[in-house]
Amino acid sequence: MILYILCFILLLIGLYGVITKRDLIKIILSLAIMEYAANLFLILFAYKKGGRYPILEEGKEIVAMVDPLPQALVLTSIVIELGITAMLVALAVRLYQKYNTFDITKIRRLAG
Amino acid sequence: MNDHKGMTLIVKTITRISVWLIILYGIYIILHGHLSPGGGFAGGVIIALAFLNYLLAYGRKETENWINIRLLHDMESASAILFLIVGVLGIALAGSFLANWLSKGEMFRLLSAGTIPILNIIIGIKVCAGLFFVVWTLAIFHIEEAD
Repeated sequence: MILYILCFILLLIGLYGVITKRDLIKIILSLAIMEYAANLFLILFAYKKGGRYPILEEGKEIVAMVDPLPQALVLTSIVIELGITAMLVALAVRLYQKYNTFDITKIRRLAG
Repeated sequence: MNDHKGMTLIVKTITRISVWLIILYGIYIILHGHLSPGGGFAGGVIIALAFLNYLLAYGRKETENWINIRLLHDMESASAILFLIVGVLGIALAGSFLANWLSKGEMFRLLSAGTIPILNIIIGIKVCAGLFFVVWTLAIFHIEEAD
């Protein structure tokens, strides 16, 4: 249970960063922390105490394997996060070219 | 990458040695994808990071000389088609999409598991080239700004 609470705290740290920080790069990093928390949550669901990774190996019995399905899901999720982060960074770079700052309070002339 | 000339001599020398070890490790991860943790995606990311290591240490121009960018681009496009070809061959030879049409071989051997190692290699090329081009394209912005 304590692990789930810590995972939720990690999500809250990311949310805090997204809401309060003014620097675009810090916001992107906070978003990444939130994504990590979501991935960790899925992996924690699948975790079994003393579990082994779900891969057959020579000379090892199939005992206490963790659930492989959330791990496959998280692998897909990591790829999507990569795409999201790349797009956000590209947008941030374009904004920096236009306004010469990463401070979101100074990026005001959004029309035009 | 401020002046597009790369970093200091120490970083360049270390990178020249370590980049091959990183690539070798990535190839190992890809080839053992059906036996141990890892696989096409993880190994592809490792190889892409080796290229990015080179890009950071040497700058853009040297990297263009070292890697054939056009070839890498073609490989990225071709790998998707290759994946599809392997999948459709499954329809033709074994009945369903991505079905195994090669001999499964002996368990726990390097050359086993049918088409899975082939697909792992294709995914590795795709991920490696894709991840490298994401950062490569982002660096274009930087150059446009400097001009």
